[in-house]
Amino acid sequence: MVKMRLLFKELAEDRPLLRKMAQRTAWISGVFALFLSVLLILNYLQFKTHDPLHSPALTQLMQQLQSDSENQALKEQIRALDLLARKAFFIHQWQLRTGSFLLLVSIILMLSAIKYLRSLERILPSFDSKAATDELLLDRLSSRRLVIWSGAALVLLAFVAGLLSENQLKDPKAVELAKTGPSLEELRQNWPHFRGPDTNGHAYADSLPTTWNGSSGEGILWKVKSPKPGFNSIIVWGSKLFFSGADEQTQSLYCLDVTNGNTIWEREIKDVPGHPSELPDVTKDTGFAAPTCATDGQNLYTLFANGDIACVDLQGNFIWSKNLGLPKNHYGHSSSLVTYNDLLLVQYDHGESKSLLALRKSNGKTAYQTKRNDVQLSWASPLLVQGSGRDEIILSATPFVIAYHPSTGKEIWRNKCMDGEVAPSPAYAAGRVFVVNEYARLAAIDIANPSIPLWIYEEDLSEVSSPVANDELVFMPSSYGTLTCLDALTGVKQWSHDFDTGFYSSPIIAGDTIYLMDLKGVTHLIKAAREYQLIGENALGESAVTIPAFMTGRIYIRGDEHIYCIGS
Amino acid sequence: MKKWIFISLLLFVSLSFTQVLQRFPKPDFQSGYERPVMQTPAPRSLVLEYLDVGVLLLVLSLTTYFAHRRRSRRLIFTMMIFSIAYFGFFRKGCICPVGSVQNVVYSFFNADYVIPLTVVLFFLLPLIFTLFFGRTFCAAVCPLGAVQDVVVVKPLSLPKWLSSVLSLFPFIYLGFAVLFASVGAGFIICRYDPFVGFFRLSGSFNMIFLGGFLLLLGTIVARPYCRFLCPYGVLLNWFSRLSRRHVRITPSVCINCRLCEASCPFDAIHKPTTAEIPEDKIVLVRRIILICILLPLMMVSSGWMISRLYVPLASVHPVVSLAEEIKLEDSGLRTEVSDATQAFRAAGKSTADLFAEAHAVQQKVKTGGWILGGFLGLIFGFKLIRLTAYRRYSEYEIDQGDCLSCGRCFSYCPVDKNGQTIIRLNTEVT
Ligand code: SF4
Repeated sequence: MVKMRLLFKELAEDRPLLRKMAQRTAWISGVFALFLSVLLILNYLQFKTHDPLHSPALTQLMQQLQSDSENQALKEQIRALDLLARKAFFIHQWQLRTGSFLLLVSIILMLSAIKYLRSLERILPSFDSKAATDELLLDRLSSRRLVIWSGAALVLLAFVAGLLSENQLKDPKAVELAKTGPSLEELRQNWPHFRGPDTNGHAYADSLPTTWNGSSGEGILWKVKSPKPGFNSIIVWGSKLFFSGADEQTQSLYCLDVTNGNTIWEREIKDVPGHPSELPDVTKDTGFAAPTCATDGQNLYTLFANGDIACVDLQGNFIWSKNLGLPKNHYGHSSSLVTYNDLLLVQYDHGESKSLLALRKSNGKTAYQTKRNDVQLSWASPLLVQGSGRDEIILSATPFVIAYHPSTGKEIWRNKCMDGEVAPSPAYAAGRVFVVNEYARLAAIDIANPSIPLWIYEEDLSEVSSPVANDELVFMPSSYGTLTCLDALTGVKQWSHDFDTGFYSSPIIAGDTIYLMDLKGVTHLIKAAREYQLIGENALGESAVTIPAFMTGRIYIRGDEHIYCIGS
Repeated sequence: MKKWIFISLLLFVSLSFTQVLQRFPKPDFQSGYERPVMQTPAPRSLVLEYLDVGVLLLVLSLTTYFAHRRRSRRLIFTMMIFSIAYFGFFRKGCICPVGSVQNVVYSFFNADYVIPLTVVLFFLLPLIFTLFFGRTFCAAVCPLGAVQDVVVVKPLSLPKWLSSVLSLFPFIYLGFAVLFASVGAGFIICRYDPFVGFFRLSGSFNMIFLGGFLLLLGTIVARPYCRFLCPYGVLLNWFSRLSRRHVRITPSVCINCRLCEASCPFDAIHKPTTAEIPEDKIVLVRRIILICILLPLMMVSSGWMISRLYVPLASVHPVVSLAEEIKLEDSGLRTEVSDATQAFRAAGKSTADLFAEAHAVQQKVKTGGWILGGFLGLIFGFKLIRLTAYRRYSEYEIDQGDCLSCGRCFSYCPVDKNGQTIIRLNTEVT
């Protein structure tokens, strides 16, 4: 111990030896640190170029899985590759940690040695010839100048930044005002779209009639003859009721007075720029005027089977028209229109050119066109989800159900769950979308986690009629007369009931009552409950395939021959 | 020198890589597995918080004693190593008096926030010590200062014009930190603390890069953060100017031997001036009067300019940034949703209320911008006055505001406390 102490004392007093030791320590640790640095940089670059977490092979397999989600072998392959990637990642982490620790130690050693060496030197004043006073004057002058210039530069910078900054939140109401179009409340006081204000079969009207008979006139306020054929449904805004009709020669829009059924105006849609000379392929079930019109309370929009699309105001004055191109569609185009803010949205899936089309409501110019080349023809109408978080427009077609942002047409999510020729439109309630097609399935999709369906159901599927849902239950009618009720969360069947006649019209849910009209025009009123309960059945007296419109105290139905107003 | 810069650069770049925190992405379970809820560490117990205050007080007292009584750079250096170990690596750089400025400001403007006594003590103790004894806190107690001090290798003296301009940055930083803390936009001093990443051995790439850069720069420009960025340094500088018992280069009487002239790496030593003012007095007085006349104009114009920046400045506030995100999503300009907007929507709160709240924050920032601009205009004006007016020095004197009481210059003085001139041989300066 004493010897050791003596050794240290000797060492401490031996300045030249210490200096040499410090010099060597500084060099050795410096070179070692340099070596480690190079290794770490190489390691980093290697990781950057071959990032195991973003391996192209893994990404490719994941993409493959998206279109082939049942492939077990593929899943195993992904798992194995993923495990390898994770191992590589953690080895890299270990190398990084150990390397950085060693680097830090060597830097500390090098710094200590250099500091010791520096401590042996004294910093002496410089004795230069320049006069101290001149230097002082020059220093102060340049300092003042620089302070003034830098102050001016900062002010200028602030000015430019101020000019460039745009306040998106200037007026808290601005965001609402930016949405040109009616509010959700206004929409819900009217019947502006196919399947109602929310495009999902929900009616918000109250005091609705529950009994009527079209043949005897009981509960019928008025009844007028349909001026022209058309399978589009009635829409209503305030005191005006609208629909369209077309045959091989002409196509027209109609506006009736809801109080008495008198025609307020009728406008033929003609001289449409780009109007095709040939007639579109249609079947007798679809006709030339299957798409339901849409209104935003300012204007009325209509689309016909030949691709002619037009806008008139609610007084019938012409605003614009154009042709979207003759649809190559073997049953005839049937998808209905939807308005969203300043846009008119069209699911225009036909021939080789499938797309979601957004036109400016004001002039009909294309705002965007999102190509949908990976889907097949579809006859369904879009579902617009809005008012509860992010707005989405959801289109159903084979094989994908795809959600887009309605303002931009950018895809948000997709789910591969459809098959066949899709005609039923999607239903929506409580964050869940329900899509169905015959020979495919009824699938529930949680839009917060849409990659995999919540559940699927494969019996008594709908061919034309769209399902309807509330927070708890889904109701699905079929063209051969079965109505099935399922739990919305689990897909467990609650009940099913076979009616004598099939359904093309879609059910509407108003409070806890479902209104469902069959092909013969009989509307069945059923309790929206976990047990089947028939409330009533009301015959129209003629066949019907359209969807009724629900306003306070009244229901408007377009039969094959007549328009009916039901109420008291 | 070139070799040294090259080696340092390479080391610095590699060290930045090593500190980058790479988080493994969470696996996307489809099997219904629920991830465990994230645990946040329990707050430090009150006893330990007071222990920290006790340690602060003790280290402050010892450093002050070592600087004033023992005049020992070596002992001050020892305290520096202790502070790096305790306040830096052990306490992970939190809480520190530098950041506590924001807690104090926030407590003034937010009635709901009860500021802990320990935070107040952390804020006040260094100021009180500085008021009496100069910046002994900066000398060895502040871990941010200490970590920069230990890397000083070959300090250069900066040109006066450069340090004059750079010395304005701490005021700007302090001003913005106070503005953001007062409106609840966040604590930017903590968020942009360049050294905390080293103490915690993790941090964002940018912050580690900035910290590494400052340390590398610190080898030739002593303590760049302390001198040209530290917002708490502004307060310490002011308090230190008022201190009655500041450290001095000489323990007795300056004999103007010039030995200490280049010893301060922070350029905090004033040389003796000539008896005559080297400029025309009338010109000087006119210049000062002109600056005084222009001062209100400078204040108003910079107030106006900064108040116009309220939109980008307010975006730092979480409510405003959330409102802007919601706006982008709602208008369809952005299709990806963020965690924040998802959480907001899931909470079922009203968007209109959010926009109204964000609007109110923007208005507060606008008012704050006027005050901040006025303050900065005043500071620029005072700086110009300082650079115009002359102060006479008859001997080598410490600049009380800028001196960090590091003790490096003490050993250069050949005079002992009895006024005897002594020649020291082999004196080490760390
Ligand atoms: S103590 Fe001396 S060397 Fe240290 S900062 Fe003050 S004047 Fe500079």
